[in-house]
Amino acid sequence: MSITIDGKECTFQPGQTVYEVARENGIYIPVLCHQEQLKPVGACRVCVVEVEKARSLIASCAMPAEKGMVVWTNTDRVKTSRRLSVELLMTQGHHNCITCESSGDCVLQNLGYSLGVEHPRFPEPTEIKAIEDGNEMIARDMNKCVLCGLCVRACNEIQVNQVLDFSGRGPTASVGPAFGVLYENSECVFCGECVRVCPVGALFEKQGRFQGRAGDLEKVRTTCVYCGVGCQMDLNIKDGRIVKVTTPRSDAPPPNGGSLCIKGRFGYDFIDHPDRLTSPMIRVDGELREASWDEAVAYVADKLTKIRTKHGSDAIAGLASARCTNEENYLFQKFFRAVIGTNNIDHCARL
Amino acid sequence: MKVFRAHILVCGGTGCRATGSEGILGSLTRELASRKLTDEVVVVETGCNGFCAAGPIMVIYPEGTFYQYVKAEDVPEIIEEHIIKGRPVQRLMYKEPVTDAPIPHMLDIPFFGKQMLIALKNRGLIDAEKIDEYIARDGYMALAKALHDMNPDQVIEEIQKSGLRGRGGGGFPTGMKWSFARKSAGDVKYVLCNADEGDPGAFMDRSILEADPHAVLEGMIIGGYAIGASHGYIYCRAEYPLAIKRLNLAIQQAKDYGLLGEDILGSGYSLEIEVYQGAGAFVCGEETALMASIEGKRGMPRPRPPFPASKGLWMKPSVLNNVETFANIPQIVLKGGQWYSSIGTERSKGTKVFALTGAVNNVGLVEVPMGTPIGDIIFDIGGGIIGGKQYKASQLGGPSGGCIPAEALNTPTDYEEIVKLGAIMGSGGLIVMDEDTCMVDTARFFMEFCQEESCGKCTPCREGTKRMLQILERICRGEGRDGDIELLEDLAANIKDSALCGLGQTAPNPVLSTIRYFRSEYEAHIYEKRCPAVVCADLFKSPCQHACPIEMDVPAYIALIRAGRLDDAYRVMKKTNPFPGVCGRVCPQFCANKCRRGQLDEPIAIAWLKRYIADNGKLPKVEEVPVTRKEKIAVIGAGPAGLTAAQDLAKRGYKVTVFEELPHAGGMMRYAIPEYRMPRDIVEGEVDEIRALGVEIKTNTRVGKDISFAQLRKDFDMVLVAVGAHTSWKLEIEGEDLTGVWGATEFLREVNLGKNVKIGSRVAIVGGGNSAIDAARTAVRLGAKDVTILYRRERKDMPAWENEIVAAEHEGVKIVYLVAPTRLVGKNGTLNGVACQRMLLGEFDRSGRRKPVPIEGSEYVLSIDTIIPAISQNADTSFIESGSDLELDKWGGIKRAPKSTVKTTAPGVFIAGDAATGPATVVEAIAMGHQAAAEIDSAIREKNGEPPYKEPPEEKIDIPFEVDEEAKETPRAIMPEMKVADRIISFEEVELGYSKKTAYSESCRCLRCDAEL
Repeated sequence: MSITIDGKECTFQPGQTVYEVARENGIYIPVLCHQEQLKPVGACRVCVVEVEKARSLIASCAMPAEKGMVVWTNTDRVKTSRRLSVELLMTQGHHNCITCESSGDCVLQNLGYSLGVEHPRFPEPTEIKAIEDGNEMIARDMNKCVLCGLCVRACNEIQVNQVLDFSGRGPTASVGPAFGVLYENSECVFCGECVRVCPVGALFEKQGRFQGRAGDLEKVRTTCVYCGVGCQMDLNIKDGRIVKVTTPRSDAPPPNGGSLCIKGRFGYDFIDHPDRLTSPMIRVDGELREASWDEAVAYVADKLTKIRTKHGSDAIAGLASARCTNEENYLFQKFFRAVIGTNNIDHCARL
Repeated sequence: MKVFRAHILVCGGTGCRATGSEGILGSLTRELASRKLTDEVVVVETGCNGFCAAGPIMVIYPEGTFYQYVKAEDVPEIIEEHIIKGRPVQRLMYKEPVTDAPIPHMLDIPFFGKQMLIALKNRGLIDAEKIDEYIARDGYMALAKALHDMNPDQVIEEIQKSGLRGRGGGGFPTGMKWSFARKSAGDVKYVLCNADEGDPGAFMDRSILEADPHAVLEGMIIGGYAIGASHGYIYCRAEYPLAIKRLNLAIQQAKDYGLLGEDILGSGYSLEIEVYQGAGAFVCGEETALMASIEGKRGMPRPRPPFPASKGLWMKPSVLNNVETFANIPQIVLKGGQWYSSIGTERSKGTKVFALTGAVNNVGLVEVPMGTPIGDIIFDIGGGIIGGKQYKASQLGGPSGGCIPAEALNTPTDYEEIVKLGAIMGSGGLIVMDEDTCMVDTARFFMEFCQEESCGKCTPCREGTKRMLQILERICRGEGRDGDIELLEDLAANIKDSALCGLGQTAPNPVLSTIRYFRSEYEAHIYEKRCPAVVCADLFKSPCQHACPIEMDVPAYIALIRAGRLDDAYRVMKKTNPFPGVCGRVCPQFCANKCRRGQLDEPIAIAWLKRYIADNGKLPKVEEVPVTRKEKIAVIGAGPAGLTAAQDLAKRGYKVTVFEELPHAGGMMRYAIPEYRMPRDIVEGEVDEIRALGVEIKTNTRVGKDISFAQLRKDFDMVLVAVGAHTSWKLEIEGEDLTGVWGATEFLREVNLGKNVKIGSRVAIVGGGNSAIDAARTAVRLGAKDVTILYRRERKDMPAWENEIVAAEHEGVKIVYLVAPTRLVGKNGTLNGVACQRMLLGEFDRSGRRKPVPIEGSEYVLSIDTIIPAISQNADTSFIESGSDLELDKWGGIKRAPKSTVKTTAPGVFIAGDAATGPATVVEAIAMGHQAAAEIDSAIREKNGEPPYKEPPEEKIDIPFEVDEEAKETPRAIMPEMKVADRIISFEEVELGYSKKTAYSESCRCLRCDAEL
């Protein structure tokens, strides 16, 4: 089955949306409130396209492709409508790009730029809302919220924490925990999924504030050290220091698909903690002294060999850490069973 | 079954309950018990009767006597007179509005007579809380028929055949919707009823649910059977407690009777129905939002597809129909689709229920066959506009609909036809608006509603409506800017095209339709900072002043009367009006039409107070203004427009010469208005004050004869044409060349010139304006025995003022309505009769009045010897040489430059007054005179490169502020008049003017709307 997009015939699988078919065929349709992992809602109207015989413009993100559909993604009517929607969003609050954490990585900023909305015709509201940054993890600047609802869906559909939802109608519509309480006073577990999906600068990592933005930061993909799941995440590094941890909004790799827990996303300050050991230590006459890795490994190997020779393999037991990866834990038990020769191997999570 | 000799039906709809029907019920019970009539007379509390404006309503059977505005105190009299003595109580009956004759029987009242009841079949007839009464009126017979004689496909086929379309507003064919849901695979399906009525001014669904809940249930059960549903919900807003109560009662009763629940009527079909209370969000009337709400989620719409017929409530196939749609179903099943489709238009079948409300006399619930013209609903059933005001527009379809102007009154109620007008049928809210409604403010109101009710999900609806509202608010505050209308249109077009659901897609309709039909009203707000309907209070100090074309400071001079400072009051008037003495006698008083006092009792007699000041106050002597400018200005015509312009220009230092053909200055004020209304010395006195400024008035000088127009343009730098409209229109019928045929203007001019005008003894006048009345009353004074006015419409349509009409009647003038002359009959070149044809009022014209249509074969000849057509006048432009650069239109009138009111197409030639507008009023001519003077002056200054004229500082007059603590209802003070016997034999002024005492008390009625507190 196929549909025609901008004159190009595109085949599709039943259930695919027009947006998905276009994307697969290299046809660009901008989106704001849409995210591949979340159910489409067709709220922002940035992805509208013209479908022949349809009465009005259609949100391509939510429109299932139907056999024989003829779609135009870039007509004047479509562009005018997109530009107006973006213009309205740009002026619905205070989008101050100068001090925004998302500048350079902001969907609205990119849309405003690419659609050339240079001078929005509408005045910004007079009210300026205070930034909520009472907790150490997630800060909220509701002046920048565009009510795309991605945070709400991420909270409910991905993490199923069901903390965030819409409240109010019309001009008073807003998102957040029930009854307008602060994140820290709600049931929020601070997974940061909402921050991850926020397309603008309304939700951001508090610890990274004013530490560097998209252009200043080097992203280093790594595996989270907190548990064995092996979540993939990006350390955002500036001047050799981790400024924040992020995960990509789209095309996020397994196993976590971009999701993290509070520890992985916000618990990285130990790395630069002064108490942290930076080299192996060997205790000599009751005093710890620094050693090289070769020296330390040789020392441990020597001691283990001696114990096994003198007391037998079962005199040795190993206790692995939950902060190691699965692979490391596998190797560790293999080492104990095959090299040391004992089944005395366990894991801290059982303590 | 017990039989009673009389049934007393008391309306128990929400409207009548609000006005006290429960007290009536109590009183009836007590009264009947005390008279031991309980076994003979039964009292029934019915659902909404429909004629809500007349509530509380009582109907007594077997006669069907209709009583309105019944109070509990009236009950003993009703029982005593009507029930016991058999004498219906006339004072409680509906009265025919014109004749005031009581109409005893309900169905003879025009409100009911033109209706056709299908969905409202049982309204006001049964006790909604008793299932037996519903069953007695064929209730649940359709259900039995469907379950036992028809299979689901046959039911759907019947509905399809009927042509029934969704009555919630969308108009989607109901049968088709059902067939989709039937075909959708799934063992669980839902039948849903949308009772989330939320349009401002709409109460159709509520009334049906309150009056006949079983009809809706029966429709739903049939619908459920057709699609195979096992469960149903009625989504009803919690603000309808009576409807919810009666629905729940009806569900329980139907279950008890085996009409609902397991194995309905032994057919094997089972259906459960529950009422789900909505919290009152307007958007929950949208089907996907409604279903989300029933699911316990936030009521927000979702994109379609999937459509509810395949994935609806809980993602199961569902059918959602409106209350009225379901109420039609039993009748269709019972009487057949064929029957239903025989009613209505080609594409809109059956009837439609409208909630008729707003500035209409008969507010209520109306059911009419589709195709009934909107004007018929408003004027025949609705009884026209309250207080005889002028119809302006109706809002059809609530906030999603559009404003329908007077020119669309003939539009049939048909889905497609109404969409063409920029409105929608909607659920049937029909809000009627009169001339006192500002269309920008109306658009603002509906936009505010949509903005507040937007769920906030999609950008165009949430943000776009907010922006539209902000712009409209700005315009209403007087802060509108050039480009605002275009920005509104741009936003509206985009919101309609891109919003997610019906709410957003239709939210701009009120704005678009008001711009379409009332663009000039937007422009007045934006460019002139003026609200023509005098509603947007930020734009004015007081309504009267704003309504006046020359913005006379009415509250100020009225306050000065109260303070006894007549000379100061006179000076206040003279600031903008050179002819207060004239206006005090003949002004149509746009001001009084908007007077806020009129909402309490009667408007202030502003003109009569003005006359009192002009007659009794004194002005300082007028000093001649020295000529300081080299440019010379000619004014042709010494009427109100020309003289006002001359005055203004003289005050600015110009040498002004006024050319007047007739022997005296004053124009129409002197030569068209009869002396008994306008004594000559009043005009003369006010003209003299202008002359005293240094204005030269050359009378007996006709331009085009005594001096050529071309020469005038050479001799003067600027010329203002203010020649008035002194040529009467002809009737354009046979026989107008006969002796005895006069034009009204020419007739009145000859009389006012003091000539010995001979007329016959039997005079006919044709027309319904003030000129017709003037001609008639003048004819009476000239000795005519028999004076008849022939008017082609009805009295309420006459443009003449009511007090003038009454005065004419007092003087013996006969007025024949609904006739038009077809030819003039004569003998030997002399008129001796007029053939008249009777008229019938047909379709509505652009002014919102019904157009007279001749009745074939109704011609008759009226024997007369003089006829005076007074139908209209135009300007005599014969003074313009052929080949002039002054362009004329095809009727010989002078064309105005594009987008200008006072500029002509020729350089240096301006125009003002009736010559420009056609016959209008003195005050409008004065306003144009002011404008022409200002534009002439600025044209000269612009040419010379001079800075614009700066008004001298305004004369400061201290205005006292004194108002009564509490305004008690007092009618307007009566104007003393000469006795009829004295006035018909002379041209003495009929109205004698207020005394000091009367003027004082009248001035105290002013509410001082101008006060800034």
